[in-house]
Amino acid sequence: MTEIALERTIELPDMVAYAGATWDWHRLHYDSAWLAERDLERPVVDGQLFGALLAEMVLDWAGPGAELTALSFRFKGFVYAGETVRCTGRVVSVEDGVTALECTVEVVGPEARVAVAPAAAEVRRP
Amino acid sequence: MTDEVRALVGRSRTYTAPEPLGRASIRYFAMATGDDNPAHLAGDVAPPTLVCETNQFTGLPRDANGYAGHGWDFHLPGTREVRGGNAYRFHRPVRPDDVITAHWQVTDVTERTTGSGQSMVVVTSLATYTNQDGDLLVENEETLIYVEVGR
Repeated sequence: MTEIALERTIELPDMVAYAGATWDWHRLHYDSAWLAERDLERPVVDGQLFGALLAEMVLDWAGPGAELTALSFRFKGFVYAGETVRCTGRVVSVEDGVTALECTVEVVGPEARVAVAPAAAEVRRP
Repeated sequence: MTDEVRALVGRSRTYTAPEPLGRASIRYFAMATGDDNPAHLAGDVAPPTLVCETNQFTGLPRDANGYAGHGWDFHLPGTREVRGGNAYRFHRPVRPDDVITAHWQVTDVTERTTGSGQSMVVVTSLATYTNQDGDLLVENEETLIYVEVGR
């Protein structure tokens, strides 16, 4: 059974770049004083980033000319600046040229936990 | 659930970008997400989730938290808002010359109880993204959850 993965460490500069690229300047993602007032120790990674990482993982595997047709994900908890996430996908069906995958995003390392689940993708391969 | 909460269903907002998406926006997003797809880095085709993640179209001012994206101006006392998730359906790749219109509509409001007995209100919205020719590009179903606090 085909399984795919993508691992990425998300540092604060990555989060600042993502905030700029998405025009999303919410203080949750960088403002230490704002975070401290809310008992949050570290900046929180924008959850939408995990959608981008899942899409990247699936398209990298599907190859040139492939088109992502669907992607869904549910958030389970915060991921913080400096943590490493591992996205995984498992092919569950292939029908009429469309491959369906079940996916997850997990934090790896000393505070390992599920960040996104369930998640699913569909990709049309040429 | 109060009438005010129920009345959210059907509320809508529409935002049209003042310019085409542009190659620079596409390349910046690809670089920020570590995407090494040559078509994305060249700005020829947008990474699929870009139009759903960016606030580029809204033209809204920053709020006190620094946020300048779409929202419903909805505050439910005694709750905190958490993002539930998204379901995207991609109808065709988005290109740099597409001028995006995002149309948001609340499609459902449901009251539920968590496993630990907390009340919560789940607000579901559908955003459709089209271009200047009326082509349907992407649909985005988003779930926001208002969880009771202080119990």
